[in-house]
Amino acid sequence: MRKFLAIIVCKLGRFVGRLVGKGSSMPGKFALKICPDILARVQLPPHIIAVTGSNGKTSTVEMIAAILRADGKNVVYNEEGSNQIEGVTTLVLTHATLGGKVKADVLLIESDERYAAHSFKFFHPTEFVVTNLYRDQLTRNGHPEWVYDAILPAIHPETELILNADDPLSSCFANGHSSVRWFGLDRCSLSTDAPTGVYHDGAYCPVCRAPMEYDYVHYNHIGAYRCTRCGHAKPATDYTATAVDLENGTLTIDGTVTIQLAFRSIYNVYNILAAYAACRRAGAAPEKIAGVINNYILKNGRMQKFTLGQHHGTLLTSKHENSIAYDTNLRYVASTKADCAVLIIVDAVSRKYFTSETSWLWDIDFDQLNVPQVKKIVLSGRYCNDLAERFSFTAIAPSVWSVQPDIAAAAAALKEDGSEDLYVVTCFSDRDKLLAHVVKEG
Amino acid sequence: MELKIIHFYPDLMSLYGSYANVSVLRRYLEALGNTVTVETVAPGQEADLSQADFLYMGAGTERSQKAALADFIRFGGAVKAAAEAGTAMLFAGTAMELLGKSVTDAGGKVYDGIGLAGFTSVQGKKRFVEDVYGKTDLYPQAVVGFMNKCGIVKGLETPLLTSLSMGYGNDGTGTPEGFHWKNVFASQLTGPILVKNPRLLEVVAAAIYQQRGETLPAERPVDRWAEEGYAITAEQLSLRCQNKSLSVN
Repeated sequence: MRKFLAIIVCKLGRFVGRLVGKGSSMPGKFALKICPDILARVQLPPHIIAVTGSNGKTSTVEMIAAILRADGKNVVYNEEGSNQIEGVTTLVLTHATLGGKVKADVLLIESDERYAAHSFKFFHPTEFVVTNLYRDQLTRNGHPEWVYDAILPAIHPETELILNADDPLSSCFANGHSSVRWFGLDRCSLSTDAPTGVYHDGAYCPVCRAPMEYDYVHYNHIGAYRCTRCGHAKPATDYTATAVDLENGTLTIDGTVTIQLAFRSIYNVYNILAAYAACRRAGAAPEKIAGVINNYILKNGRMQKFTLGQHHGTLLTSKHENSIAYDTNLRYVASTKADCAVLIIVDAVSRKYFTSETSWLWDIDFDQLNVPQVKKIVLSGRYCNDLAERFSFTAIAPSVWSVQPDIAAAAAALKEDGSEDLYVVTCFSDRDKLLAHVVKEG
Repeated sequence: MELKIIHFYPDLMSLYGSYANVSVLRRYLEALGNTVTVETVAPGQEADLSQADFLYMGAGTERSQKAALADFIRFGGAVKAAAEAGTAMLFAGTAMELLGKSVTDAGGKVYDGIGLAGFTSVQGKKRFVEDVYGKTDLYPQAVVGFMNKCGIVKGLETPLLTSLSMGYGNDGTGTPEGFHWKNVFASQLTGPILVKNPRLLEVVAAAIYQQRGETLPAERPVDRWAEEGYAITAEQLSLRCQNKSLSVN
């Protein structure tokens, strides 16, 4: 009876919530009040795929949904990004019959890494994808090992783990776990011989703290690691990017499947690889997956093209407090050939209030912008002084970078001057403050 | 002067941009006309602390901290002797806990610290994460920073921040933060603390000079970005403190 009531309340709440434009976690919250173990009482689909990790969750989940739907499967997932237990409850109950059977072939969940253990208390994923674990939003996450410890209790012995073989930390989830599938990237044209970046989280083994060695690295400390003492090392991969050519935008998986990359970044390669692995485990054929990804356009709008005066602009959305997201976008700028200007905006680290926490700026490798084609760098937003202090420790000539606290003024000055390409590096929370001054392109 | 900085475990203890404390100090000392060398020490590597003008260790994860401690314990006697003799040093983040009598991890296992001071640290499963605004006895301006830790420090008698109007200190909300004795500075505040607090950077540099029988020159370099960044942070956090006290009243 409580189950029935919880489902009714949730469905009603969702209906009313949609009418008044309210978020998707409240109905689930009510349902959990009525029946705290409701998620254990419903009949879930045969595949429950969860995705967590520091970076790439949303992109990976969106790709998995598009692929499996094209493969004829009925997929439900938390498109609104309510990825804590209340949102998951709303998702499940909204798609359930009044008898509690979820009408879908696949339940797909983007799971908040800190709350995964809570979300999966009453049921567990059949496949659990962990994209990676590294420094991300340390003001809420503490540090990567803290997040690792938070995810660990969410992993059920019967769940099949789909792990990134190239990440020395999240690969540790395989220790003592029976069912694991690995995705990873072979040595390719992008690889370097040693870790890159300002800090070296991969310098020491996450298991035994002995120094680690690398055969090759794709970015930061993501690559082929090998502990000098305990044997923790990149495992053999089940789903492998065997060749990547970012210049021509092609990715080859397992030597046979060729994919055209709409967005030519190393991140996108890993997201595709994670989605590919999950979809193969859910029964999709390689050609089907490649066909969908070739025609797939990222919906999340992290790359927005625009014009500002004579400048052709590209907005590269990085998450503040995520140094690897910044590093990857800076690497993209450095890989371009034409003369360009770069505008970096840090205006609101938190949307709610001012926080003094800008130590994450010191984790970003801004020296990547020390290349001849970057002619001008403008630092803007409320934290422009903190950015400038960080820049004063780079090798970039002081004549190249300047500071303009006011975002509108920075945009106006750029509009008046020059026609070089413009890259804007900032966060979701700050991007609209710039987009208000430009002409967006489709 | 020729000054030597020893930076312990820069790769192992590198959270929250810790390395930048050394970067700003080095640049400041160089701008004053000194030649500065930074010697890094990795686990297992030898180091002669007797010739050092400044010792530094940054923040690390709780596991990295234990790995650092396992190695650092062999330097315990030398660090204490240097501290007693007035050598300047800074221990940031979880490195601060190593100076005490013991560190207890979240599972209850107790590790001996180097015992430079009598305090103890107990780590738990809750993280204390928030902005901090406080006062030190060293100068009139406020100290700003961000707390990101899971340890509670008890039995500490000489804090660096003697009072907090906002944020989590050594032993709870609003309690004093950090450690200061002779020329030993320690704080769990991120920022990094010497980047965010130009006055504290001066105090640390003055401590290095004092040990060489010198005083800081009257004409000193001004780091415009650090000063302006500090001014905005101090103003905003001070406003939040006032709003908080208004809402309490």
